Amino acid sequence: MSSTLKHTAVSVPEIDWKPSGLAAYLPFALAVGGSVVLSLVRLRAGGENFMTDGALMMLGLACYLLAAVFHLTDLYAPLRLFQRLGLWGATAGVFFNAASFGVRWVTAYERELALLTRQGGEMPWAFRYVPFANLYDLSLAFALGAGLTTLLIANKQNFRFLGALSLPLAALILVLARFIGDEIVNLPPVLDSYWRPIHVGTASIAYGVALVCFAVAVVYLLKDGVKTESMAIATSIFSLAVLGTVSRFSVFAPATFGTYGASTMSGRSSLPLRADVPYVGWMLVLSGLLLAAVVVLFVKYLSSENEAARRWGRRLLKLSLVAQAGVVAVLVSQVKSMGEVVSRIDSGQYARFGAWLLEQRGMDASQVAALGQLRLERAASEFLQTNGAGLSVSLRSNPVELSALITAAAGTLFVVIFSFRTERLRESLPSLEKIDELMYKTAGITFAGLALLLITGAVWANESWGRYWGWDPKEVGALVAWLTYGAFLHVRISRGWTGRPAAYFALVAFLLIVFTYLGVSYLLPGLHSYA
Amino acid sequence: MSAIRETAGETLERAASGGVRSAGFVDRALGLLSSVRFGVVLLMFLVLACMAGMLVMQINMEGFDKYFAELTPSQRLLYSALGLFDIYHTWYFNALLLVLSLNIVLSSIDTFPRAWGLVARRKLDASAQWLRGQEQSAVITLEGETAEEVAGRVSAACRSVGLRPRVSEKDGRTFVFAERGAWNRLGAYAVHVALLVIFAGGFLTAQLGHTGQMLLTPGGSASEMTETTFGEGGVPSELKVALPFEVECTDIRQQLLDKDGPISPMNTLNWSTAVRIKDAERGETEALVRLNAPYDYRGYRFFQSSFVSEGKARQITLSVEPEEGGEAQELIVMRDGSAALADGTTLQFIHFFPDFAMQGARVGTASEEYRNPAAAVRVVKPSGETALGYAFGERAAAAGPLAGRAVGGYKLRLVDFEKVGASHILSVQKDPGAGVVYVGFVLLTVTLLGVFFFSHQRVWALVEGRGGREFEITFGGNTNRSRLAFEQRFARVVRAAGGVGASGVKQS
Repeated sequence: MSSTLKHTAVSVPEIDWKPSGLAAYLPFALAVGGSVVLSLVRLRAGGENFMTDGALMMLGLACYLLAAVFHLTDLYAPLRLFQRLGLWGATAGVFFNAASFGVRWVTAYERELALLTRQGGEMPWAFRYVPFANLYDLSLAFALGAGLTTLLIANKQNFRFLGALSLPLAALILVLARFIGDEIVNLPPVLDSYWRPIHVGTASIAYGVALVCFAVAVVYLLKDGVKTESMAIATSIFSLAVLGTVSRFSVFAPATFGTYGASTMSGRSSLPLRADVPYVGWMLVLSGLLLAAVVVLFVKYLSSENEAARRWGRRLLKLSLVAQAGVVAVLVSQVKSMGEVVSRIDSGQYARFGAWLLEQRGMDASQVAALGQLRLERAASEFLQTNGAGLSVSLRSNPVELSALITAAAGTLFVVIFSFRTERLRESLPSLEKIDELMYKTAGITFAGLALLLITGAVWANESWGRYWGWDPKEVGALVAWLTYGAFLHVRISRGWTGRPAAYFALVAFLLIVFTYLGVSYLLPGLHSYA
Repeated sequence: MSAIRETAGETLERAASGGVRSAGFVDRALGLLSSVRFGVVLLMFLVLACMAGMLVMQINMEGFDKYFAELTPSQRLLYSALGLFDIYHTWYFNALLLVLSLNIVLSSIDTFPRAWGLVARRKLDASAQWLRGQEQSAVITLEGETAEEVAGRVSAACRSVGLRPRVSEKDGRTFVFAERGAWNRLGAYAVHVALLVIFAGGFLTAQLGHTGQMLLTPGGSASEMTETTFGEGGVPSELKVALPFEVECTDIRQQLLDKDGPISPMNTLNWSTAVRIKDAERGETEALVRLNAPYDYRGYRFFQSSFVSEGKARQITLSVEPEEGGEAQELIVMRDGSAALADGTTLQFIHFFPDFAMQGARVGTASEEYRNPAAAVRVVKPSGETALGYAFGERAAAAGPLAGRAVGGYKLRLVDFEKVGASHILSVQKDPGAGVVYVGFVLLTVTLLGVFFFSHQRVWALVEGRGGREFEITFGGNTNRSRLAFEQRFARVVRAAGGVGASGVKQS
């Protein structure tokens, strides 16, 4: 028999002696299990009085935001209660998010069930109705992937705070979903394949992990001592890019300076015809000026340690936050209260709209091009005379623009938060090595996940379209993000490039994922145009 | 020494020194080609090229002609000169892929020996100082009989947490070395091999692959496929590729979501084409091609691509009532087929009109939608006497004078019909590279999971006698990834070696 005589442990760092067993996964299990139960209840006992998937989604959104606030508070004023509230808020958010997904599945199933059984047809398999059909569905799943990853990482107590960053990002995705609108659409038959849940499921998990990896990279840079002024420059440039591109570049273009137009809607479809929204254009210009001033002042501070520039930069940063929040508030209230829209449509758009209209009516592109400016304008004004009364603008007019404006404001908000007691915040974060390790882990899983995404996509494309790779923009988008994560993994092992450069790669890679997810669907044509 | 010889000698010398210089250049070039940093730079170039390809519409995409027409002349000139309209097939894109492949191969060759060394030649012993310098280290003191006995306990501790231990002795000191997942060091190389396999498959596809379209109408057949290529400005040109067999279409079906709705993609659950392949070598083969369920034959793959949505009927249900009175019978007749009544009279389904209309004395269809369906039917009596007439649906009145007219002694009514389009368009693919790519996919999946979900974890323990029954054990350990998990495993080893149920290692 032996016994330990004395212990002289050398540098055994922060070992958690508590059993890190299954109990740590309780929030994850509760959220997932609960949502499955709720979805089954909806299937068995559901009906018209049951909560809709849209309502559940909004609850999830609220919980994500609430949890993020608790986590943020905990970072500045560490209190076990805040941490717990943050964790359970996140759990509730994931529960509602997942339940919304499940209930939507059941709803889509019942929607076709009635029709098919009435006509004596066979009910197709249940996987036809997995909500992976359009960008709304994918957003719901993307946010869920991010929420689940956050919960899984929360089993490490050191990293619970990550929810402070990842949950607001997940919430932003749900906000986008809210603006896209939750109508259930008929499934294009080519998507009715068992590869769809596999492929899109992989996408939502990989994207979710990537989102968390992005949050970790931000934390890494913060801990590594990147100045909040540098971060402010980055977010301000991002905001400026958003302001510059919304409303078809109208805000800063000389011909339309200071105007912001929202797309008009005819029924549920959005038309390429914008109605000017009062006040918003000038507020965007004001925000732009403030942000540009922030960039200039902080560049001056960083290059010459000019304290006055720093002070003024900080003030203007806060003002720009107020202005950006104001833009969103005014935009929402104006769009909601706008009645008649025809008089707010600038006739400069008539020719382009006329061309679009004639093409929609089946005219050949070359025929349209041969028509004169006047003919096109007349087609547009005739359309407006007959259909003008039925046109409207709504929050669904430009979901991506609205979400981008909110995201830009959120970016500024986070930099403002980080500039408050930055040193104290840095101290409360885990060690740089630990953050790096988590960044590597999440990036590695994202890399593997994106590889699986590309592989399952290729196999599915080969089953449906007869080619495994066609250089379609969505395919290339996923490839580009994958390559960038690949670059991250190699930068990390390249002498002299480890540390901060690697974190920058992780940031850029996630931005590329967002571009693939939104940009390709909204800006570029291609086979993946449905989602 | 003669002048000639001197000159020759100089030339030789110069050649030698030049040789040295060129070897230096080659070395440097090889060094660059095989460096990981250069690989990262190449990746970034590839990313940029791909982004350009995403932002500039590619020549083979639908709507390219319109996009091209909207560009300014200078844009057209610039993009064409840079090859941006078909960037993925430009020489520089291919060169980039080639250099990247070379970089993968060369950098792997450079770093592989070290990784192989970690797997093949295990480091069994280590100095106490080295161990203290590891990512994880701890020193504990244990009581025991001999160093071997204590090492045995440490081994057991390692085994209890899933590490494979090995005890060795060197210079009178006892070492325990334990590890798991040594193969993980080679995972990254396997990933690169998988990538190269995929590249190779892609190369085969690009060189040998063919994809074409084939229009099939029931009763018709095809023995070639149409390949579309795009020229300057997106102008398509068609190339007929002969197939070594003939494909005959025996039936097409459209499975609609709402049977009262139109034949449109959004109202379709699936559609299928039944074919009979007539092959001089292999005889006849029957097959069914459905959307998302392709059919393979002799290295060719048949897919559903699209359909021609002209309203047709696959089969019709007729109500047949004798003119002089009697019970009406229902009869189902297939397209181009016939069915017999009890008295031996047969009814042939000749033609279907989705929107029956009279144009003067001629019958025809006003549109391709099911607005006023009617079928042309030939009645053949057992006596051989034939009569041609029409069966109308509910909107028979719209058919004018033909409505309600008896055909060969029978009143015909179109009770029901199965909607189907006029033809289906199949994609035909011959791709000898796809199999290779799939092998690469499987390899990549397995190796990536192997790399990122496992790690090579190593723990060393140096057992040193401190006199009497006291032994000092210096632990050290490291891992190539999963540091957080390894930290916990290391702590468990140290704790288990200290005796199960011990109060724990004091942290300092």
